[in-house]
Amino acid sequence: MTEAQIEKIIALLGALLVGVTAAVQLRNDWAAKGLDALVTKVLLGLMAVGCVLAFLAAINVLGVHA
Amino acid sequence: MATAVATAPLAGHEAVAARYLEVDPVYAETRSIRLLGFVFFLLSDCVLFGAFIFAYVYLRISAPTWPPFVGNHRLPWFDTAFAALNSIVLFGSGVTMHFALENWKHLNRQKFYRWLIATIILGLGFLLGQAHEWTGVLRGGVTWPGSTMGASFFTLTGMHGFHVFVGVCYLTVLGLQARRGIYTGSKYFGLTAGTLYWHFVDVIWVVLFTLFYVW
Repeated sequence: MTEAQIEKIIALLGALLVGVTAAVQLRNDWAAKGLDALVTKVLLGLMAVGCVLAFLAAINVLGVHA
Repeated sequence: MATAVATAPLAGHEAVAARYLEVDPVYAETRSIRLLGFVFFLLSDCVLFGAFIFAYVYLRISAPTWPPFVGNHRLPWFDTAFAALNSIVLFGSGVTMHFALENWKHLNRQKFYRWLIATIILGLGFLLGQAHEWTGVLRGGVTWPGSTMGASFFTLTGMHGFHVFVGVCYLTVLGLQARRGIYTGSKYFGLTAGTLYWHFVDVIWVVLFTLFYVW
């Protein structure tokens, strides 16, 4: 197994763990009100999107250049 | 308000909101103004990054080939696998910081310190990963003055790395302040601001990861 493959496996598992946790936290905080809660929700949502991107990069769907 | 809280026990977000209302109104108003100011600070940082990101996108779409050639040598693509791993380290630190603040809000001090320390360690881990990434990129022949690709990459990731470094220092100071009792269960704006800053740094990395490694 190459170094890149090991990195991708760890990134894949990490993306799943962090992405699901971020999504669950976002759902828990959905009812919170106020400017700080709103900004936190937007930023948590974008972080979850980042996890999806990292996941797709780890399974070679994104970031594959010829 | 105290009667209402006593007759109907609150939980979760409502309990936290009720504690805010118990605080003196002057603090509540000051907090709102501080929060608005901090959000404007984050927006101004968005403009700063936005300017450099726009420059990178412009340079990239106007280049005849990407990665560009330097002499007869075509520059290599960046290492997506390692970047994905390092991204997860940073995103993970965002989640741990969120947990830290939630534990502070719910008056669980020990867990707050544990999650805060985990955040600081993950932030330092990301910086070490960036140092490793920069070394690999330099070995591949991509340098700051050598090409528009290198200039954009080192400027943007360097700016971001500096923000992460400042964030690590900021969180360390917040932890020390919390230890000294500066923050209470109802007055903890510094911790809220620190968490927002750290989430912001995460989100900027989502954009940079997409532009440099996915696009």
